[in-house]
Amino acid sequence: MSLGVGAVEAPTGPIGRVLGRSVSSGAVAAVLVPVVAAVAALAVGAVLIGLTTGDPIGVYADVIDGIFFAPRGLSDTATTATPILLIALGYAFAYRARVFTIGAEGHYLVGMVASVGLITSGLLRDLPGPLLIVVGLLAGAAAGAAWSALSGVLFVRFGASVVISSLMLVYIAEAVLQWANRVGIRDPESFVPASRSVGAATLPIVPGLDVHLGFLIAVAIVPVMAWVFARHRLGYRVRALGDNPEALDANDVPAGRIVIAVLLVSGALAGLAGFIEIAGVNGRINDSASLGYGFTAIVVALVGRLNPVGVLVAALALGALDIGFEVAARSSDLPTSMAGLIQVLVVVFVVGGDALVERFHGTGAR
Amino acid sequence: MDVIFTVATLTAGLRLAIPVAVAALGALISERSGVLNLGLEGMMLAGAFGGYSAADATGSPWIGLLAGIVVGFLFGLLLALFVVAGRSNQIVTGISFTLLAGFATTLLFQQQYSVGQIPPRINRIGLPALIIVTVVVFVVVAFVLFRTVAGLSLSAIGETPEAADALGYHVGRTRTLATGASGALAGLGGAMLVCGPLGLFIENVTAGRGWVALALVVFAGWRPGPTLVGALLFGLSDAVQLRLQGTDTAIPYEFFVALPYIVTLAALVIRARASHTPAALGVPFVRGAT
Repeated sequence: MSLGVGAVEAPTGPIGRVLGRSVSSGAVAAVLVPVVAAVAALAVGAVLIGLTTGDPIGVYADVIDGIFFAPRGLSDTATTATPILLIALGYAFAYRARVFTIGAEGHYLVGMVASVGLITSGLLRDLPGPLLIVVGLLAGAAAGAAWSALSGVLFVRFGASVVISSLMLVYIAEAVLQWANRVGIRDPESFVPASRSVGAATLPIVPGLDVHLGFLIAVAIVPVMAWVFARHRLGYRVRALGDNPEALDANDVPAGRIVIAVLLVSGALAGLAGFIEIAGVNGRINDSASLGYGFTAIVVALVGRLNPVGVLVAALALGALDIGFEVAARSSDLPTSMAGLIQVLVVVFVVGGDALVERFHGTGAR
Repeated sequence: MDVIFTVATLTAGLRLAIPVAVAALGALISERSGVLNLGLEGMMLAGAFGGYSAADATGSPWIGLLAGIVVGFLFGLLLALFVVAGRSNQIVTGISFTLLAGFATTLLFQQQYSVGQIPPRINRIGLPALIIVTVVVFVVVAFVLFRTVAGLSLSAIGETPEAADALGYHVGRTRTLATGASGALAGLGGAMLVCGPLGLFIENVTAGRGWVALALVVFAGWRPGPTLVGALLFGLSDAVQLRLQGTDTAIPYEFFVALPYIVTLAALVIRARASHTPAALGVPFVRGAT
């Protein structure tokens, strides 16, 4: 079976070899390119700040201050990084297999709605808190996985491009979220559309760390994913699918089934992030629950080299940038989109940098 | 349900279909040459912002359309620099470009029109003129693709770049220009969105229409005619959605908000297998690689 049928995914041939290449083209380039890209993006950011608000050095000093010296700088960084980390781990897994889903925002929202809806239902809401948390985590993961697998089924059965179908499902998920807040799981006491409160399922704060439990869960999943990548049968098949789908077919492992498995895993992680974000931070869902983490996480997965540990580093760095710029924006008229722009510039420079490295230091692997 | 299909809804459908149709015709050009332009949504958004700013500055929405074309074209060339010259992964690069355009237009918009202040309405182009522009774009694209040597060699490059290269066609140059052209039409589509009856730019005004355009190209089997039909289908469902939001129906109105995307998904599923994908779509060309 060729995965390219009628779809934009065409893992055969040299497409996406860049991904495989960037990982194998030497550990030095793999680490150096994102670092140089980050420095370059911050430099461009400095120029932009100079052009708009005036004082880049002052702003960057405020950013650093906000991350490391503000009372809640580091714990806010960890809190912000948590959903992005989980979603990006899923993307990294899928992109390794060259399954290019971009729909995690939808999996995140659906996981959120389903888990909060379930644990606040009359049936379950009187259960003890820890049990509710476990149910919420499982429900979020299951709903996210199911929503994600839809793209996989449409691709395997009909050849519909995962890139596009996963994005269409984001818009549909946003409509589901609005309906849930307005009608489905609405808190009748609330004047604005908002869900019922998670109540006893609120994630506890980790003693001494000043961060909710979800951060530890997300960090704990990093070595699990690293193990799956390196040792588990699915990880092996993912790498095989990324490298050479025909070899899988020849060994009677249907590539379509692995595509769905990969989408299940990445969707589950995003759905998990949805529950964790609500139970850990807001306590209830409102209409501004869609903050674009599902898209920021694409940046994190790519800058982290589709490597779980790299993704962890990138997620923390991005979270820090968000918090730092948020703090800096309080004392100046810094545009709120500046942090996002710098983050995206990092990934554009990484992509460009990889192409340059490839040009001038060809790996000779071909 | 007869209220849905009034003349007003049909007109609205046409109006909503036009930006998607023009952007989809752009995507068609680059995809037939073998370049998958996933930056299309970003180029549409950049064209919308460029078009709005230019129309606001000059007072002429037609200059806005020109600005949209220029901004989109330059953005397209930049993408080509990455994916054609640099041979970077087209999916990843395109997605990054779309994200980049989202943040960049938001930043510029926030800078130019400060928060709290209502951004000015610009002079608008009427629907008949937009229809004429769309028809002209369609005729030019169809003519160039099927009736000129340049268009036929472009399609050959999208099918078998090795053979086209051996015959002396310039694979890299053609793909670069095709990507630039797709950007130009996406930018024009974006500009038509804001310089048309809307007359306004808001953050992320394109709202996924570039992605819809990409889906329509698949639905249309990489042919210009069906691309227009697909865009009309999307526009109509978008218009029905807007129409039904105000009425009292048993179905929650959120369903209608999602309807255009459900229709697009359905279109993608119905036609994905049947359509003929350019054989070298998404595959960077390296001379002597195979």
